Amino acid sequence: MERTRITPRRALAFLCLVVIVAASVEYRLLRILFIDRAPLSEAFERSADTGWYPDFPTFIRGVRAHTKSGDTIAIIVPTPKWDGGYAYAFYRASYLLAGREVLPLVTPKDVVVMENFHRARYAAFWRVRPPAGAHVVWQGSGGALITR
Amino acid sequence: MTSVLIAIAAMFAYGIPATLMLDPRARGGKLAAFGFLYGSGIVFLAMLILSIANVSWTVPLIATVAFLIACSFRVLRITVPPGDGDLRPRQTHSKAEIAVHALTALTVLSYASYATLAHLWEWDYWAIWGLKGRVFFENHGLDWRYLSSEWNTFAHNDYPQLLPFNFSFIALIGGTWDDRWLGLLNVMYAIAALLIVWALRRETTPLIGALATLACASTAASCYVGLAEGALIAFGAAGVLMIRAAIIDDDPLAMRHGALLLGFAASCKNEGVAMLVAVAIAVALVARKWLLRLWPSIVIAAPWMVLRAFHHLPTDLAEGNVAARVIAHLRTLHVTLLDLALSLYNPVLWCALLATIVLLPSSWRRRERFVLLVVGIQLAFYLASYLVTPHDVHWHIGTSWPRLTRHVHIPLIVVTVFGLANWLSGGEDAAHAEARSEV
Repeated sequence: MERTRITPRRALAFLCLVVIVAASVEYRLLRILFIDRAPLSEAFERSADTGWYPDFPTFIRGVRAHTKSGDTIAIIVPTPKWDGGYAYAFYRASYLLAGREVLPLVTPKDVVVMENFHRARYAAFWRVRPPAGAHVVWQGSGGALITR
Repeated sequence: MTSVLIAIAAMFAYGIPATLMLDPRARGGKLAAFGFLYGSGIVFLAMLILSIANVSWTVPLIATVAFLIACSFRVLRITVPPGDGDLRPRQTHSKAEIAVHALTALTVLSYASYATLAHLWEWDYWAIWGLKGRVFFENHGLDWRYLSSEWNTFAHNDYPQLLPFNFSFIALIGGTWDDRWLGLLNVMYAIAALLIVWALRRETTPLIGALATLACASTAASCYVGLAEGALIAFGAAGVLMIRAAIIDDDPLAMRHGALLLGFAASCKNEGVAMLVAVAIAVALVARKWLLRLWPSIVIAAPWMVLRAFHHLPTDLAEGNVAARVIAHLRTLHVTLLDLALSLYNPVLWCALLATIVLLPSSWRRRERFVLLVVGIQLAFYLASYLVTPHDVHWHIGTSWPRLTRHVHIPLIVVTVFGLANWLSGGEDAAHAEARSEV
């Protein structure tokens, strides 16, 4: 059988083949089987909520337990800035309270929407003191669920 | 975990008979891959049909409609001349091939370990994909009140619903929402994509087939667990590779598979719709006779398109004055291009892929022009999205470009690895191809 002549172009092509295969492999992923998963698992459990873990998700789960499907709930947290944390609180509450109608009190342009507070049957105050005389349905994990 | 495993088994139970009704030659890994992908798609279609009919989801109802859809695959069968199909004599495997397979298996096992580390953690999972799946589960069907609310546009409610419906299906089986093991669905999409790549090894040697599969493994194992990327990569790559096979081998059955898979890719994300358009343009340019054969894609993707238009679900890219944004962004195009270059995921791989396109003979580029066109058009769509974006361009590129470029990795890796190996080995058409290209 005739041997294929090695030319610079062929050498480069061989190099490309090696690089494509070698660069495609995600070596960090391969390490996971050889390390202790427990701390990694714990870090990932916290990663959705970062600094709000564990109180905020625990509080919202409590809100879920004390409301029913179809209820409207406004979310009140210490940060009034959308990008400063309100977006997280609203999105996270939307997920954990799926089935209820979750209403924000702040828009992405940091405009306060008081109509939503008045529209909601419940208001979930987390690390914010509810108005005096409000009817507290439940409290825990740093927050209070009130109804009008 | 049990409900996820039962849901996956149910997907196989719909998908494998559907595959065999469509393609009696399918065997082994290809049958398993098509079986899972079609099963996932059939579950989505069943739930969509029930939602359109305004019938509340229950597992028996979904199972019945899914069974009927699976049976309807018989209508799509195309009679092809009898051949050996996917049956091949048992081969001995070289040590090198076994070593490469072991690395691929290690990648998949590592991915399974990663995808099931914890309750799904990605922001886009709980703010988009998982959120909608959970809302639909609670509502036992599409929730138009939720989707139409001005406060919920952050969840990209215009996106197609294949993945949220698959999540809802799992929750319906379990009777409760639990996102602890949903990552297993990602693992299944990855395995399906890799089995499709492995099934193409007949074009080359088993070792090169194994190397191509390994090279695709980390892309198929999408690190964005719980997002639609994994499903889109699997459906999209399988669809493009099947249509490539149809064009090269003049195989109408491969075209039918490709059209169905692309329809499901277009049901995963808007980027899947873009991929379907990219494929249609590429087919129109290089193999026009196949263009109308893409009709199953349209049949699958169209209902959601009609529904979202009917309910006026907004698409963020099309909001406001698009022309003004394009003009404004064109003025800073050089900054955008620099941003794209700096945020590119795996630039070494991209350099090698681009170098390969230049290096290989022109006969290879002619043979693979369909895949090269699809990749080029799809990337052009992504670039266009950054020109029309209403968001800050730098932020938009940083949060999406590294993810989006992976959508086209697998078809490009497959054709370059096969092309390089074939040319280097002086195999089949390599010698005369090189001679022609060097004239």
